[in-house]
Amino acid sequence: MKNPLRLIGGEAGHILPKGGFGAVLARAGVGKTAVLVQIALDSLLRETNVLHISLDQPVSKVCLWYEEVFNHVGKHYQLNNTVDLWDAILPHRFIMTFNTEGFSIPRLEERITDLTEQGIFYPQVVLVDGLSFDQEVRELLNEMKLVARENELKVWFAVRIHREDISEEKPVPDNFTNVADLFDAALQLSPQGPQVMVNPIKTPGELDESISLYLDPASLLIKDGQPGE
Amino acid sequence: MKPDIQKTRNIGISAHIDAGKTTLTERILFYCQRIHAIHDVKGKDGVGATMDFMELEKERGITIASAATYCTWKNHEINIIDTPGHVDFTIEVERSLRVLDGGILVLCSVGGVQSQSITVDRQMARYKVPAVAFINKCDRSGADPFRVIRQLRDKLSHNAIAVQVPIGLEANFDGVVDLVTMKALYFDGDSGETIREGEIPADLMDMVEERREELIDAASMYSDDLMEQALEGEVTPEVLMEAIRLGTLERGITPVFMGSAYKNKGVQPLLDGVTKYLPNPADVTNTAVDLENNEEPVDLVTDSSKPLTALAFKLEDGRYGQLTYIRVYQGSVSKGDTIVNARTGKKVKVGRVARMHADQMEDLERLEAGTIGALFGVDCASGDTFCSPDITYSMTSMHVPEPVISLAIVPEDNKAQINMSKALNRFTKEDPTFRTKVDPETSETIISGMGELHLEVYVERMRREYSAAVTTGNPQVAYRETITQMSEFNYTHKKQTGGSGQYGRVAGFVDPVPGEDFVFESKIVGGAIPTQYIPAVEKGFQSCMEKGALLGFPITGVKIVINDGQSHSVDSSEMAFSAAARGAFREVYNRCKPAILEPIMKVEVETPPEFQGAVMGLLNQRRGIILGTQEQDTLCFVEAEVPLAEMFGYSTVLRSSTQGKAQFTMEFASYRKAPQSVADDLIEKAAKEKKDKTKVA
Repeated sequence: MKNPLRLIGGEAGHILPKGGFGAVLARAGVGKTAVLVQIALDSLLRETNVLHISLDQPVSKVCLWYEEVFNHVGKHYQLNNTVDLWDAILPHRFIMTFNTEGFSIPRLEERITDLTEQGIFYPQVVLVDGLSFDQEVRELLNEMKLVARENELKVWFAVRIHREDISEEKPVPDNFTNVADLFDAALQLSPQGPQVMVNPIKTPGELDESISLYLDPASLLIKDGQPGE
Repeated sequence: MKPDIQKTRNIGISAHIDAGKTTLTERILFYCQRIHAIHDVKGKDGVGATMDFMELEKERGITIASAATYCTWKNHEINIIDTPGHVDFTIEVERSLRVLDGGILVLCSVGGVQSQSITVDRQMARYKVPAVAFINKCDRSGADPFRVIRQLRDKLSHNAIAVQVPIGLEANFDGVVDLVTMKALYFDGDSGETIREGEIPADLMDMVEERREELIDAASMYSDDLMEQALEGEVTPEVLMEAIRLGTLERGITPVFMGSAYKNKGVQPLLDGVTKYLPNPADVTNTAVDLENNEEPVDLVTDSSKPLTALAFKLEDGRYGQLTYIRVYQGSVSKGDTIVNARTGKKVKVGRVARMHADQMEDLERLEAGTIGALFGVDCASGDTFCSPDITYSMTSMHVPEPVISLAIVPEDNKAQINMSKALNRFTKEDPTFRTKVDPETSETIISGMGELHLEVYVERMRREYSAAVTTGNPQVAYRETITQMSEFNYTHKKQTGGSGQYGRVAGFVDPVPGEDFVFESKIVGGAIPTQYIPAVEKGFQSCMEKGALLGFPITGVKIVINDGQSHSVDSSEMAFSAAARGAFREVYNRCKPAILEPIMKVEVETPPEFQGAVMGLLNQRRGIILGTQEQDTLCFVEAEVPLAEMFGYSTVLRSSTQGKAQFTMEFASYRKAPQSVADDLIEKAAKEKKDKTKVA
């Protein structure tokens, strides 16, 4: 897949190092889940196992996101073997959902052990959607970092931000700045009129200033270039 | 007497198996004075619940066929369809929902929203059926109705709002507080038939106030009057009820009632809720398509003076002869009327019109618009539309899934053979997901359906209701074959040695086309194959789709394009070109790398978290792909896609690995390519069977 995300760093799009953290920041409803799912599909298509953890949506809804984004990807890149491709990626994906209050790192570790000990699934990339960064999360992230390093996981988080927390002088909100040192990469989705720009605010390597990314409002796919091009 | 359409309700009662819906129906019929005594579902008193009239249902304590019945409650006429709870019988649920205007979603206050409730709810959503919920079994240990309300919101996305709060729970469950009228209701007498109103217990007042505020908040979205009253702090029951009704009709609110049907508590207020909140037939817009006007959609009007449009939603060949359950959407049908079956165009004279109360019948002169009843001696299939002779409307067709499992059945003697034929004839008419055919090679009768239990029940019914003693073979999975790559063909069928000859050449290519069964395209130019022979070529290719060379199962996902050919002025014929097509396909099939498709089932297992690992392990061993796990309160749900072939006997293994604490549902999801190793085994087995058969022959 010619995923433009690969343009923002790392060789061939492996943006994060093993044990590394990435973040997708946006206000509610702007497209964080759509971007996470694209990151997941990019990995799945390279036969990398993705564990998708959702703290606010049931499995069926997460599945729908994947089907929807995959269909758009199939149409956009005119893939003609989508049925086979879908069948091939499905075994590489595992969705876990928790109640927000029921989620803890020891619990997650227990669930991952359930999977790995029986040889059911070995996660390589983990997506965490729905974790609130409004409260103190440093401790949880530190614990997660240990798990990620131990299991060589690359972990992406969706970070919900609020309109009132950002301004022109302070485009990145405090709830993320406070923990930004733990992250290797971060993308911020910023609505500009009817468009949503994808701004890399932290990248593992050098940032190529010439690249501009945006979310296509119809398909929610990340595309390179300027909207309307 | 002509029924008042405003006071007619057509409702279904849907629920997870064992949520207690048959018990609830029994109580409803008792309070509506349709029956004069209450019997247990599992038939401890030897009578059994009124709605479960089939012997087998009494024994298993489950409802299989949806029996229609009617009753009256406070001047309202309520038609009830009792729907089955097991997923194998969902066609019954779907057919019922198609003709109903509203539903009662019964949930267990301990078990809450279980996987089958999700399936039933999805079906209700498909047909946009407004519902009220009834949280049953509030007297059971572990009852927590507000947890169930949270689940209704989280898992089923219902805007579930309590219209009652329980007075006590578990063994102390005494009654309910009605949040609309703000009265406590107790159920006295031997069978809870006397309702005693009282003051709200002081210790419940805070909770009652809080829940009432929630109710007013939700309902005020649908009524400006209520919004105004709420702001002024003076809400009248009438305005609140009307707002709840409007919200329910839009499926924006699901009012939640509570009680214990078994303990005769809370059923009458639920009946009040049905009459107050669920739609009457005129509240619902139903559409048909006009067959004479390019299938343009037509809105039907619930008016008995209009031309008739009625849907036959269920057939039964019972003790009164062939019985056809119909829902009259528009117009009316009377004894002696001549009506037309829109599908066949055949005119039918209506002999008798009746309505049913479980298995008892009451003759009527006429069925009015908006009502449900039955006709006698009318020849039709389930899903047919009946119209007045001057219109040709058809109700949109119902979604009928393809069967995924087959079983060979052999009658034990001649008498059984005759009875078996009678039984199969009836079952296939009643249930479109149940099919039957005779295997031309083995001459065995093969029955197909939606799951092991589905077929098991029909075999059992054959034995009991028709005295047809049959033995059954092992269940067979309905595989399919398909092709995976494009290949060209150029085949000449030539027999020109003496007598009249046969000659035809066809050329073109075969291409995979996922998602379609069979596509044929002719790109013949210049008359290489004369136009009159092209349908024969298509027919020839299509006949090859019936049986693939790998396993002998139907072939799907094939596109045939013909672009060249040749004919002979004397020796070419339709037969010759059809034979050429068959020859071409036989020759090209192996070059297209054929593959086997197997039915994949969506399986959802509900388990306490401590068995989550074991449950996932079991699914994994069965070639299942685990889509995800979901933790909800004290339960964990594992969703997976598993090949049907691996699911035989799963219930026993699941029970033993989880101390009986886990349960599962499954339904057909899709066909998927079987892994090579599995395909090789299947092909080898099929070849061996074929060889054995040849030896025997």
